[in-house]
Amino acid sequence: MARTGHYTAQRDDYLSPVRQQALAQLKADGWPARRNESWRFTPLTPIEKREAKQAVQTDNLPVPAIDNLNAIDLIFVDGVLVTQVNTLDVPAGMSITSLNSDDAATRQAISSVYGKVKPSRHMFGLVNDALCQHGIFINVEAGVKIDTPVRIVNMASQNVDAHTRVVVKVAEGASATVIEQGFGDTESLTTAFAEYDLADDAHLEHYRFAMFTGKAKQLGGSHFKLHNRTTLNSTMVGYGSELSRLDVDIHHAGEFADAKMNAVYLLAEGELFDLHSTIEHAMPNGTTEENARGIVGDKARAVFNGRIHIHRDAQKTLAELNNRNLLLSRRGVINTKPELEIYADDVKCAHGATVAEIEEEALYYMLTRGIPRSKALVMLNFGFIQELINDVPNGAIREWLAPLLSERFAQMEVK
Amino acid sequence: MLSIKNLHASVEEKNIIKGLNLEVKPGEVHAIMGPNGAGKSTLGYVLSGRDGYEVSDGEATLNGKDLLELDVEERAREGLFLAFQYPVEIPGVSNMEFMKESVNAMREERGEAPLTAAEFLKKAKEACKQVQLPLDFLKRGVNEGFSGGEKKRNEIMQMILLEPKLCILDESDSGLDVDALQVVADGVNSQRDGERSFIVVTHYQRLLDYIKPDFVHILADGKIVKSGDASLALEVEKSGYAFLGKAYEEAEA
Repeated sequence: MARTGHYTAQRDDYLSPVRQQALAQLKADGWPARRNESWRFTPLTPIEKREAKQAVQTDNLPVPAIDNLNAIDLIFVDGVLVTQVNTLDVPAGMSITSLNSDDAATRQAISSVYGKVKPSRHMFGLVNDALCQHGIFINVEAGVKIDTPVRIVNMASQNVDAHTRVVVKVAEGASATVIEQGFGDTESLTTAFAEYDLADDAHLEHYRFAMFTGKAKQLGGSHFKLHNRTTLNSTMVGYGSELSRLDVDIHHAGEFADAKMNAVYLLAEGELFDLHSTIEHAMPNGTTEENARGIVGDKARAVFNGRIHIHRDAQKTLAELNNRNLLLSRRGVINTKPELEIYADDVKCAHGATVAEIEEEALYYMLTRGIPRSKALVMLNFGFIQELINDVPNGAIREWLAPLLSERFAQMEVK
Repeated sequence: MLSIKNLHASVEEKNIIKGLNLEVKPGEVHAIMGPNGAGKSTLGYVLSGRDGYEVSDGEATLNGKDLLELDVEERAREGLFLAFQYPVEIPGVSNMEFMKESVNAMREERGEAPLTAAEFLKKAKEACKQVQLPLDFLKRGVNEGFSGGEKKRNEIMQMILLEPKLCILDESDSGLDVDALQVVADGVNSQRDGERSFIVVTHYQRLLDYIKPDFVHILADGKIVKSGDASLALEVEKSGYAFLGKAYEEAEA
């Protein structure tokens, strides 16, 4: 696919300069070499020889519901936006439009975010810049609190390449909830990138459910720019597939911003999931708390790279990053690497990563109380995941995730 | 109830239990005392089926069933309960959930319907009060951040809820002050109903002032070297294990 270098920009419109720039950079950078640090543990072989193919026809597939969640659904099937955004019932103060908008003001708003929050070092972000045809722009006006979550779904149903984009602007003092969800297990390739520009005093509750499995390849990212006193509460869930990679960037561009990110990954046999997160503290008095926890099954591989970069001016920063893993088999692999780069002298920063195996002593303790082995394993090893699920701010999502994930875990074998 | 004959067991290829015999009848309380390294804790682990504890010879039956053939959880469901000397902390699993699962596993074994959350909560609250733990301990992670004494009381609470046939208390008195000791002993005594049997493993005679044993055994170098009534414990308290002579010296060596 990308290796052959056959990129052509999709259209000639207001986003063309971004596309052309992305193409130029992709060509200059070339296909990542085997030793490229960013892809060291995540081989791109499954897509190296892939022929790019766009969907010609898509079906309107049923979208699995999140019980009791009353959300505005925006659905992409195989990269095509199948929701008629202009017919949506959208609360006052919020607008949802296609990126292919003709309105000059909307275009301007989109251009102020598109490709500007997402750092240009993400290779598949550039691919998405260049090839994305369908995208959504969500705008929340100043001071408006939107209670209804917006759910953006990427579904893969056939062997095509899908490149979708989401641009979100939350204005001063406004708040919103956005859910990004992706799933499908058929041979396919999805790049789904989202950029969030959060103004002063804005609040965003964010979810990313990267639940592609099997032969579906996903390369995506969620990128956030936080201004003064912005609060971000993000929950991510990753399943693994043949190739699954998520890049997250949280950029503290204002003071007193507060970011919280919880990530959970559950990898069944043979799956791969790679989470790269970068927290940039460019301004003083910001706080970040990041917890990534995962369970890795037989012959599966989890890659976690968590970078915190505290710039020289970012005094009084408080940043914590923690990665905990449980290996269910000696043949599972975890490559975890927390990275701290601190240039300010008055900061509090902590990071840590652990890899555990099944706690034999705790398991024994539970068995002596008559609890069946399979049940004990779930109770024992799901606890640290459950802690993060309990932390999910939205009740309906919490209720949906808990059984979904514990069931996925119960089906994973301990070897 | 429990019958142990000529039991030999090893840990990491080191023989610890070397021909142990013990008969416990329904309703009896047996105290097992002995110097360090005699195999007191090992006995509880072997009977409960802990991994790494290999039985090389002998037999152990509970109400006629061959314990050694059963998995750990099956032994528990047959009515064997081990109160740990060092109860395990399990952060992330609430005490409540933990105990509800175990109680319902026992009920299933007895062919009874599982308790509903409300029914269980009522029982759990009663048991919690009985061992004088604050009710919020039910919500906390299993033993998570509990003090030594709180952990021991939590073990007794589990024992009360699980209604086992045979309870092995492994140094349930260690690290307890007099008040906590009283609570633990009261908990145990409340469960003495003439049917349920107890094996009380302890270093100190002190516990036996509160839990009156029918028999006292001295375990040294992997076997029971002396048995008697409660007065044997007093003798140990007064003159130590010197009377064991050679066996004692070997065990201490």
